[in-house]
Amino acid sequence: MGPLIPNGVIPVEWDSIIAILIGIAFGFVLEASGFSSSRKLAGVFYGYDFAVLKVFFTAALVAVIGVYYMDYLGYLDVSQLYVHPTYLWGAIIGGVIMGVGFVAGGFCPGTSLCAVAIGKIDAMVYVGGIMVGVLIFSELYTFFEPIYEGYFYGNITLEDSLGINPYWFVFIFSIIAIVAFVISDMVSKKQKKIFY
Amino acid sequence: MVKNKIAKVLNFRYIILAAILILLAGGLVLLPKYQKHEGIKPQELLSNVISSERYITTDKLSEKLIYRDPSFILIDVRDEKSYENYSLPNAINIPLEKLLDEDSRAYLNQSQFDVVLFSNDHFYADQAWILCDRLGFKNIRVLKGGLNLWFTTIINPEEPSQSMPAEEFDLYSTRKAASMYFGVVYPEQAQMVESETKIEAPKRVITVQKKKKRAAEGGC
Repeated sequence: MGPLIPNGVIPVEWDSIIAILIGIAFGFVLEASGFSSSRKLAGVFYGYDFAVLKVFFTAALVAVIGVYYMDYLGYLDVSQLYVHPTYLWGAIIGGVIMGVGFVAGGFCPGTSLCAVAIGKIDAMVYVGGIMVGVLIFSELYTFFEPIYEGYFYGNITLEDSLGINPYWFVFIFSIIAIVAFVISDMVSKKQKKIFY
Repeated sequence: MVKNKIAKVLNFRYIILAAILILLAGGLVLLPKYQKHEGIKPQELLSNVISSERYITTDKLSEKLIYRDPSFILIDVRDEKSYENYSLPNAINIPLEKLLDEDSRAYLNQSQFDVVLFSNDHFYADQAWILCDRLGFKNIRVLKGGLNLWFTTIINPEEPSQSMPAEEFDLYSTRKAASMYFGVVYPEQAQMVESETKIEAPKRVITVQKKKKRAAEGGC
């Protein structure tokens, strides 16, 4: 049956509307759980608040377990899902740049917009910085193009590249997540309490 | 009291949630695996196969062709050479091995037209029908007896003997008329036909709307 839109259960024309609704819900939950605070986001790097790690790890886990159960029961076809294409070096370099920006600015692109919405000035500066970055990238596109378009590996998943059984991977992944949560709790207990 | 108990349980809430996640993930590993079927259920396929509704007779097909019924498309599942040699008017050639190609699917998996599959006998057409039916394609039929029966009933109908019932004679005259439509000339009409210019059915252009089935796209 699923995914709903590619199989025509929901007409394609609805996808922007659905995207807006999901976006609003996502933004609301981000803001409500305090993710529009750069201190909370940066906390994961300084070891006093691991909410980001826990939330995103849990989200990934719940989603992946849910998707594979739905696939097993025949409600969703995993092979039809969108898999983001891998441009190896583009992803690595981009990831490093984004990581530096994350530590320095205390936002990721999504949460920065969330913080702009509630009127945080640092977030506005951050978004301005993103725009400048976009401008520089587009102006120097011909220079970056070989990296941006190169090292293309197709729409691969860990299942393809490691040849691992997805069910076992999900199981191992959830154990890693739980271990990470326990360790992060231990780290944040040792850290001096910071109020923010 | 009750509140205290709840509070006690809630103290372990993260451990409980972690345990649920691990259990669910472990469940995925332990679940018995099964071969997934693409398309309709085997039981459904079986009942469709047994039903003779999938057949269309040569008489019905000739009637549809003569009245230029626009609601169906003919698909020849024989190889290309046989198709070049002879085929029904306005038939599209999709050899059996190319049946499930992306281009062919546009003709088969749609709800605009009825599809009539045919081959020399209905043997290959039946195979094609089963492949299509299993994938859940709708409105697919098979020409019973295929081109061979088409020849013996429509193109060259057998004259009934004198002792046969009147219906046979009616059927014969209908088939004879149909064969004339498809270009057969009978001796008793040879003189009349001479002056007539042969009217050829215009080549029908069949456009099939592609079913919208896009690959999922997008991302973060």
